Amino acid sequence: MRELLKHPFWQAVIIVVGSFVLFEFGVAYLPPLLGMKSAPVPNSVLLQYMLTVLVGLLVYVSDNEQRWRRFKEPLHAVLVDPGKRALRMVLLVAVPLLVGFVTYDQLRPSVEAPLGLRSIHPAPPGQITFRGKTIVLARLENPLRADGSIAEDYQVGKRVYYQNCLPCHGDPLNGRGHYAHGFNPAPLDFTDNGTIPQLTESFVFWRVAKGGPGLPKEGTPWNSAMPAWEEFLTEEEIWSVIIFLYEQTGWTPRTWEEAAEGAEE
Amino acid sequence: MWATNLKIVGLVVTTVLLYTLVANMIPQLESEVPGELTFSGQVTTEQLVAAGEELYQGAGGCTACHGLGTRAPDLLTDEAGQGNVAARCDRRVQGLACKEYLYQSMTEPNAYVVSGYQPIMPDMRRTLSAAQIWSVIAYLQSLGGEVTVTGEDIAKTEQAQGGAPGAQTPPAGAATASLDPLELLRSNQCLVCHKLGTEGGVIGPDLTAVGRRADAEYLRRAILEPNADTASGYAAVAGTMPVNFGQQLTAAQLEVLVRYLVGRK
Amino acid sequence: MRRQNRLGMGIGMGMALVALAFDPALAFAQEAAGAVREYGNFPWLGARGAIWIAAEVHLMFAAFVLGVPIFGVVAEAIGIWSKDERYDRLAKEFIRLLVIAYSATAIWGAVLTFFLITLYPRFWAHLSAVFEVSMWVYVGLFFLESFTLYLYYYGWDHWKTGRAKLGHLWLGILLNVWGTIVMFIADSWLSYMMSPPTAVTPDTAPETVRLWSAIANATWMPINIHRIIANVVFGGSVVAAYAAYRFLAARTQEERAHYDWMGYVGNFVAISALIILPFAGYYLGREVYEYNEPMGITMMGGFMSWLWIIQAFLIGVLFLAGNYYLWVGMERIPGAERFQPYTKWLLLVLVTGVIVWATPHTMIASREELEAMGGSHHPFLGVLGVMSAKNTAVNLMILTTFLSYLMYRRANKRPVVAWARTGSMVQAAIFLAAAAVVLFYGIYGYYVTAIVRIGFSVYQVLAVLTTIISVMILDMLVLRGAESRGEIRWGQMPVRSQYALFVLVVTFTWLMGLMGFARSGIRQHWHIWEVMRDTSPWAATPALGYAAQMISACVLIFLGLIAFVFWLGGLIEKPALLPKATPAPAASPVPATMPAD
Repeated sequence: MRELLKHPFWQAVIIVVGSFVLFEFGVAYLPPLLGMKSAPVPNSVLLQYMLTVLVGLLVYVSDNEQRWRRFKEPLHAVLVDPGKRALRMVLLVAVPLLVGFVTYDQLRPSVEAPLGLRSIHPAPPGQITFRGKTIVLARLENPLRADGSIAEDYQVGKRVYYQNCLPCHGDPLNGRGHYAHGFNPAPLDFTDNGTIPQLTESFVFWRVAKGGPGLPKEGTPWNSAMPAWEEFLTEEEIWSVIIFLYEQTGWTPRTWEEAAEGAEE
Repeated sequence: MWATNLKIVGLVVTTVLLYTLVANMIPQLESEVPGELTFSGQVTTEQLVAAGEELYQGAGGCTACHGLGTRAPDLLTDEAGQGNVAARCDRRVQGLACKEYLYQSMTEPNAYVVSGYQPIMPDMRRTLSAAQIWSVIAYLQSLGGEVTVTGEDIAKTEQAQGGAPGAQTPPAGAATASLDPLELLRSNQCLVCHKLGTEGGVIGPDLTAVGRRADAEYLRRAILEPNADTASGYAAVAGTMPVNFGQQLTAAQLEVLVRYLVGRK
Repeated sequence: MRRQNRLGMGIGMGMALVALAFDPALAFAQEAAGAVREYGNFPWLGARGAIWIAAEVHLMFAAFVLGVPIFGVVAEAIGIWSKDERYDRLAKEFIRLLVIAYSATAIWGAVLTFFLITLYPRFWAHLSAVFEVSMWVYVGLFFLESFTLYLYYYGWDHWKTGRAKLGHLWLGILLNVWGTIVMFIADSWLSYMMSPPTAVTPDTAPETVRLWSAIANATWMPINIHRIIANVVFGGSVVAAYAAYRFLAARTQEERAHYDWMGYVGNFVAISALIILPFAGYYLGREVYEYNEPMGITMMGGFMSWLWIIQAFLIGVLFLAGNYYLWVGMERIPGAERFQPYTKWLLLVLVTGVIVWATPHTMIASREELEAMGGSHHPFLGVLGVMSAKNTAVNLMILTTFLSYLMYRRANKRPVVAWARTGSMVQAAIFLAAAAVVLFYGIYGYYVTAIVRIGFSVYQVLAVLTTIISVMILDMLVLRGAESRGEIRWGQMPVRSQYALFVLVVTFTWLMGLMGFARSGIRQHWHIWEVMRDTSPWAATPALGYAAQMISACVLIFLGLIAFVFWLGGLIEKPALLPKATPAPAASPVPATMPAD
């Protein structure tokens, strides 16, 4: 057993299996033990991780002449050793079968929707038309922050939120309202630091005003069910609900000077 | 050495293929080319004419009246033995060249009402941008005469309207911001074709007691997708009703209108 | 002449507009005369495809032709001052490749120009109207550059000693000066397409744009700087691949030793320049944001965001292959055995770094997976998808690579200075401190707002740069007069290391094509951003898959042609090299340290 652990070939096998277990199950089940939220890793990401590990292993086994030779020994033996004829035959059958199955699995018709990617925060337009009025988004600040009391706007925003947004975005603003489970894409979780703290208020304004129908193409393939609120809410109401979102979650909006850095993606 | 050469070529091609494969595995997004007409100064005649034809037959709503022969002059074929509009336009008003005459007829329609017709045409600037108006004129000119519309005209008009040249013209917005159903029916030119009580035309179905035969869902659809279903007896004018009310009405206006019409029993 | 013609035409058009109101027939005649064909078509590929290939291959050759002279001259200078014949031979070999590659660059440049004229006449008319003077200067400089190159190469053996050699070196410097100015001029054209001066609008007559304001546009300087560095990286990696090829083809031990060493130098130059390239890229990105925010967002977060995941993947390959080459190379250095047990830990850091860096923020997932994650952000791994984690990963990877290099450098030395041990301790402490700083700001970044966090990346970068500089200086002091544990056995390199060099060159070339696509693609449906719209059928920027196929085609064309150039280089050289029996480099006193010293 000790010998086995020292042999580069078996080390490589152990590492491949170990990292697969780690990515497939570890990521999903270990963090909850520590009280953190987690979920299974999507297959696309799993594949990417495993590829990286494989390339790393290839580097490991071949960056030293001796290790490289020892690594190749078992492979070589399987291919030519007269004593391993049976194993060789099994592999000769199993490997093409496996390749065939993978091909079949990839190509067979399924009811699964094709994998798609939505850009959650697509690039906003330079300006929008809000009820016939042109609003320039670039460098736009929330007008309510300049005048009036935040507390009042917060109250207005709270009312607007509970009258309109609650069913989907939920009472704790976590995107898990009563209707949320029927939607794909799911309503945004405002408590996640990957959402509104990464955005300027003008961006949020654009999203609220134009909703799912106003999303550019990178926001597809599934259009969000979010209504275009410009048809139901006034400009002021939207700005105050934005204040409510930030005040309630404790996040601060992204500011313009610093927005010069890359958007998070 | 040939073995080595082949190995090198194999390695290079494999690496390149791998990168190509990876780039093809991720979701494929093309950038979006905005569909609005934002012609620059160098727009070609063909582009203008093509865009104009699309507008004339579709979203512009021109065919609602022109071409039926009773409500407005026939533009595409012959009108009182004078040929189509391209042939007669520069003879209509002394001192006005064809395109200027057409521009004025679209923006100040009541200035030159052709004898025998009622002054019912709306100011097209309410629904079309400068670029769109000029494209329609280019299309009309192309029917028989020389197209004299150029990108310059668009730019001049935009400047005169106070829009920044080249900036995206805001899409055609609502004809009115009102939520009064009667006002909506009038300002959206519904009553040009439909009759309501004593008011209105006779091209389309009478709306006076429409609530008796149609429910809200049917009406909503009939307004947004007029060609989905044609009322019996009106097959001759099918396709006449403009299809752009989805853009012209806000959601709230649409609902007000539908509710009003359902109530007409 | 041309300018007058156009002016005449402009006036004619103006008069036509006045006349328009009175005489439609006249107006129409003028209209017909003024109409220009806007786009040509190219069979099968389409106009955009043809331009794409012509521009990209031209650019790759140009990068090679501009990058190689930079370190050709540096190598010559090192040869002069260190009196090491090998560097001179190396420099001459570089320049020989250059002479052939130079005509290929010119040919592809001509192809590009003709394609532009025939396929994009409207755009070309605008560009030539704005830039005509600079185009004449460009052509003139091209002459100067070629003749300087010929003098430099063909005079190599003639001006070989004493004062004449210094004059020769000066020719090399001059060659670089011309090349750089030529590149700056060409950069002004393409950066004008990205960021024309704000005063230029769709209605501005191109003749009225002031030349200097068009040249000195917002992204001109950042692109210049970025390209100079990238050219060095690219030139280095192509030279390394050339050396690898010659190494594999070599018949004698002497040849093998020479090309092993040449490959090492090329790779060293490429990787060192690569380490500073991200800062130039950051500067460019920043200017893009300053110039036009939506353009920047399109680049980083819009439909192009996935391009950066591909880029992360490619750079991961670069890091791994670069380190791999160093580690395999340690086998030919006596004394390197002491360090070999550590390479696996460095590898672990690198692989973890690549995994973190390439973790997407928005994941591709099926419906059930999305359901389980509650959105397309992973609740646990999502932490790795943001800038803080990525910056941290990259900085740690740079530090690791530098550590690999240090081990390589030290492998066959035994320091003799009294404070050697203390010195090494201090070096280790600096390393640890830098890693701690990088990690600290990486983690702390999660607890502050975006504005503060962006400032953190500057601290991380500064920590890494300070470490590299200070540790390097310390290392030179520690190793002053160090004893040798045995000479590097140049030429005794496993063959697979040379294949790593090929992977490096393919990856660099591909990456260059990809970044070129990013820079050019963010203009979207504009030939000249918000000035001249692309109204052709190819106006939409294509998806990455299509772009990748185009990039691959360009890479294969370029590598195929450059292989031909190398082969020609071999043909020229053969009669000269064979009879010459210089002492084997392995036997000569070989400096274990590289040009950086």
